[in-house]
Amino acid sequence: MTVTVTPEEFRFVHFDAAQTARIADDVARLTGIDRPVQVEIDETTPLSRVRIDLGDTIVLHVESGAFEDTKRPRHQSETATAASLARCLLKARDRLEGGFGEAPTDDDLTLQQAAAWDTYCAGRMARLGLTVNQQRFRYNFRNRFGFTDQVDTRFERVWAADALTWGELQSLTSGESMVVDAP
Amino acid sequence: MADPFKPRAPFAPWDRRQLPGLFDVEETARRVGHYKWAEMKLFEALGGWVATVPELDVKMRLGTHCYHHAWHAELWHKRLPELREMNPDRLTVPPNDAMVRFVEAMTEPEAPEQTIEKLVGVYRVFIPHFIAAYTFHRNNTSEITDAPTIRSLNFALQDEVADWTDGEMLIQSLLDTPEEVQRAAAHQARLETLMLEAGGIAGPGTIGGME
Amino acid sequence: MRKFFPVEELARDQRFEQITMRQAQADPRTVLNAESRNKTNRLTPDRADASDRARGLMHGIFVGEIQALEGAGRTCWDFETGTEAPFALKLDMARQAWDEARHVEISVKLSDWMGTEIGQFAENTVLFEAACSNDPVLRLAGVNRALEGLAIDVFTTMKEFGDLAGDPFLEFCEDWMLADEVTHVKMGSDWLRRITENDAERRKKALEFQQVVDKLFSFGGTRSDSKESPIGLARRFRELAGFTDTEVEDIAEMSLKALEERKAFAAAALAGDTTADPA
Repeated sequence: MTVTVTPEEFRFVHFDAAQTARIADDVARLTGIDRPVQVEIDETTPLSRVRIDLGDTIVLHVESGAFEDTKRPRHQSETATAASLARCLLKARDRLEGGFGEAPTDDDLTLQQAAAWDTYCAGRMARLGLTVNQQRFRYNFRNRFGFTDQVDTRFERVWAADALTWGELQSLTSGESMVVDAP
Repeated sequence: MADPFKPRAPFAPWDRRQLPGLFDVEETARRVGHYKWAEMKLFEALGGWVATVPELDVKMRLGTHCYHHAWHAELWHKRLPELREMNPDRLTVPPNDAMVRFVEAMTEPEAPEQTIEKLVGVYRVFIPHFIAAYTFHRNNTSEITDAPTIRSLNFALQDEVADWTDGEMLIQSLLDTPEEVQRAAAHQARLETLMLEAGGIAGPGTIGGME
Repeated sequence: MRKFFPVEELARDQRFEQITMRQAQADPRTVLNAESRNKTNRLTPDRADASDRARGLMHGIFVGEIQALEGAGRTCWDFETGTEAPFALKLDMARQAWDEARHVEISVKLSDWMGTEIGQFAENTVLFEAACSNDPVLRLAGVNRALEGLAIDVFTTMKEFGDLAGDPFLEFCEDWMLADEVTHVKMGSDWLRRITENDAERRKKALEFQQVVDKLFSFGGTRSDSKESPIGLARRFRELAGFTDTEVEDIAEMSLKALEERKAFAAAALAGDTTADPA
């Protein structure tokens, strides 16, 4: 498996392409990715969206805010870089392994669907040993589904889940299904 | 119901308040003026120190306690005209030069590494002396003629004791090594010596005499 | 302890990283390709990044409250009672210190609720800078009228966000803090009027200083009527706090101007002005 990062030199941010490649390599192994990964960083924007193109190579189009150290603007954070990459590569793996065939494209995901999938990824990231603030994802989940005990219960189930299909994820978040395999 | 027109004792059997008190109007005004001066110095120092302490919990406590002591100063400021002192500033003074030196020494620490000294000065020396002065005053003034001062003393004492507890908890949580214990003790001893010279918040006789 | 404490020495534990306003505004990315981005930056729950943005703003409120606490506390210490500042003014500042300390407590609890860690974001020290004037009247104009005025705008935006998102704690807490801030602004307006009653020149100077700080606190357009600004101008609450219609209009106009100036500043940084480089 190979990892490439562009650009090699940065003008507007203090990022390191080699360090990014090393982190991406580690995260790809950790998340079980078995094909080349290309990370394209858009350093002209402080936003933090990431777009994923799946093919023989997984291409991640990353806005620089996704890798940024929020304590030191324009500098790179290893933790944020690993977390952003892991979230995207887990989503990529979900789509590549099947079971997520009926999931909308990233651009067509509703805010609720995106929050549910992010939660599912973050729970797995935490179990892989990556630094994740669970409360951050719980707060996002509550913002999308409501501030109730029932919603919190659904969050816990999504967080604890592994090997879900898109349909199962949807059922869990809507409260239709309460049966989840424990990790 | 009992006959409302039947004569009753003006002081009920359970009301044991006594008329005599140690302080006349003039002495009470003198003490209250010193209290106001000392409370002002304390709230000003607490406010100033907020920016200098790195510990977030200490920072927030100092901000909160700053107001408590400002409010006490206001209580005394309002009491002074009721004690025939129409110019409150005239009596808003330290009891002596030693008290000025005490406040200067207490407010000396500024560096971010000196939180222990800042807290020791306030919570192990200054505030315990407020508690002593206020308690002595409350227990020795006329319970009938000086009821307004007693009411303010009780309000102030309630804050002082609560703040003292807060501060002592903070100090204990900051003392990690025998060296820090020594630092705290040395600073306390230095300030206590100055306070001894001053004779207390209201000067000599603040808590009476033992003879 | 000396009088007048420099902003560079504000004491913080190791979780905090501080940056200046210049560093905060010199990020060239904020203007590059700006035309192609979404034209509204207003914080609303329907944004894809709503909760992360709210968390960032909450942290900004948290550090702002710390600096407001420090500023009010320093006003108690920096000026001699009577000769430099009235006793009653200092009592008000002590009261404000308690209020701000409570706001820090609230902010810490809310940050925890929202999943933000203390010191997770850089701390812009601009708020304390406005509290460093050596004239207490200028300090009141800068802190109580400009800074606390900004707080009214920020809390109103956050309160609306909490209300729309259905977050019971956020809306509740912001409403309480908003009540305090309106009080602080009124306090500043009252003292400004009283102290400068017979000193027109000093009042003029104070109002000019407030204008400068207001512009600074517009954060280069972070707060304005424009949808490009994340924080709106809370006109109604500003009225309650004693701002005249003219004053509110002036702030609105100035904020929009600040937005344009910030774009130009970042563009200059992009063109190679090294003084704008935060590195």
